[in-house]
Amino acid sequence: MDWQALALTLRLATLTTALLLVLSVPVAALCVLGRSRWLGLLEALTTLPLVLPPTVLGFFLLVLLGPRTAFGRGITALLGHPLAFSFSGLVVGSILYSAPFAVQPLVAGFAAVEPALVDAARLLGASPARIVFTLFLPLAKRSLLAAGVLTFLHTVGEFGVVLMLGGDIPGATRTLSILLYNQVENFDYAAANRTVAVLLTLSVGALVAIYAGNRPRGGSRA
Amino acid sequence: MLRRTFLLGIGILSASSLLAQNRLRVAAAADLEPVLPPILESFQRDTGIPVDATYQASAALTAQIMNGAPFDLFLSADLSYPKRLIDAGFADAAGSADSSTPITYARGTLVLWTRKDASLPVPSLDLLQSPTLKRLAIANPERAPYGRAAVAALTSLKLYDTLKPRIVTAENIAQAAQFVDSGNADAGLISLTSALTPRLTSSGTYFVIPRELYPPLEQGAVIVSKTSQRAAVHRLLDFLLSPAVQTQLAKAGLTPVK
Repeated sequence: MDWQALALTLRLATLTTALLLVLSVPVAALCVLGRSRWLGLLEALTTLPLVLPPTVLGFFLLVLLGPRTAFGRGITALLGHPLAFSFSGLVVGSILYSAPFAVQPLVAGFAAVEPALVDAARLLGASPARIVFTLFLPLAKRSLLAAGVLTFLHTVGEFGVVLMLGGDIPGATRTLSILLYNQVENFDYAAANRTVAVLLTLSVGALVAIYAGNRPRGGSRA
Repeated sequence: MLRRTFLLGIGILSASSLLAQNRLRVAAAADLEPVLPPILESFQRDTGIPVDATYQASAALTAQIMNGAPFDLFLSADLSYPKRLIDAGFADAAGSADSSTPITYARGTLVLWTRKDASLPVPSLDLLQSPTLKRLAIANPERAPYGRAAVAALTSLKLYDTLKPRIVTAENIAQAAQFVDSGNADAGLISLTSALTPRLTSSGTYFVIPRELYPPLEQGAVIVSKTSQRAAVHRLLDFLLSPAVQTQLAKAGLTPVK
């Protein structure tokens, strides 16, 4: 078992989940509270990563972040190193790639909050930020949880984007899914089985713990 | 109505599978993608036998054939994968001199490729020693034959340990080329077949790595044993080894074996 790859994957998934939730809450709130028709475009854009094959998305990112675009040169100058083939590059790629899995549950959860409550808050002069913090987040707790869990797991299993953008560097960009793919492609099925066993045990354990701790109170399911 | 649609569906399905039965299905290594299509087209014109080709990494194709993929002929980018299939009883080289050895149909050539607009000297062996070379792209040396050749060549030059921290590994030779072509890696050790594609000839230049620096990249073919079209497979193999086609291979960056 390659513990370095496991640690790297967990670090990538944790960071991606934290950053993506912080970014997605305002986006989802804007989609639900806003009146402009253009917000439909915003919501559509956040789901677009689902349409592209991940390796193709990775390829576009590779070109966009590379030295042949002004954007890529700007980022390189800002950070002092290019984003491709680095851990930070993977974080950027993962945020884009997992965006639908964070934004969609939040939009659905926020939209399900009783409109009368939102209207009342508005009438009392609550700012959008206050509506988010006092109404949306407490009432849509399970959506927030779902967004977090889906983003985390989707990033753990992310393959195509990492394959393209990463360059398979141990300790920097060799994630568990790349390692697993290498093991399978090299016909090392025994090692692949061990990696999968560790991954599945950890995932099932963590998920059961999360969901058991967040079961809706008795009766509310009726 | 529903039943009629269902029967019609079954009819279409079985008709299309009947049609598919007469087609030769070739599993071909990814480095053949720029080379093989026109060759298969002329084979189809000459013989009237329709051929479909699937291009993937040799390792992936090997795993697929071991698990029953419906291919008739496997054109690998090396000898080890076809040999593995022969040893496991999934493929053979019946009809050739030695039926347990893959049929070598071409040899690959390793080149060092850079973009023309890179601020680097023209590709040469000296470039590999230059500190301006920050990132070198190679294909996965554990399974891509050109990746193995790249590591062998760097090892012969006693540069592997120095360059190791600067190497980025791509899944296959095409991706290694993309790493360089997108400007993210400074240079790449790729196949001559990739370097000779219109896209890469217009954007970059290459240097042929001397052949004595790496073991020959022999590319082997095997017949998938459960094929029902042996005669047609042999015609295609003979066609591949014919002087005219071997000359065509040479133009595309593969060294003829005949």
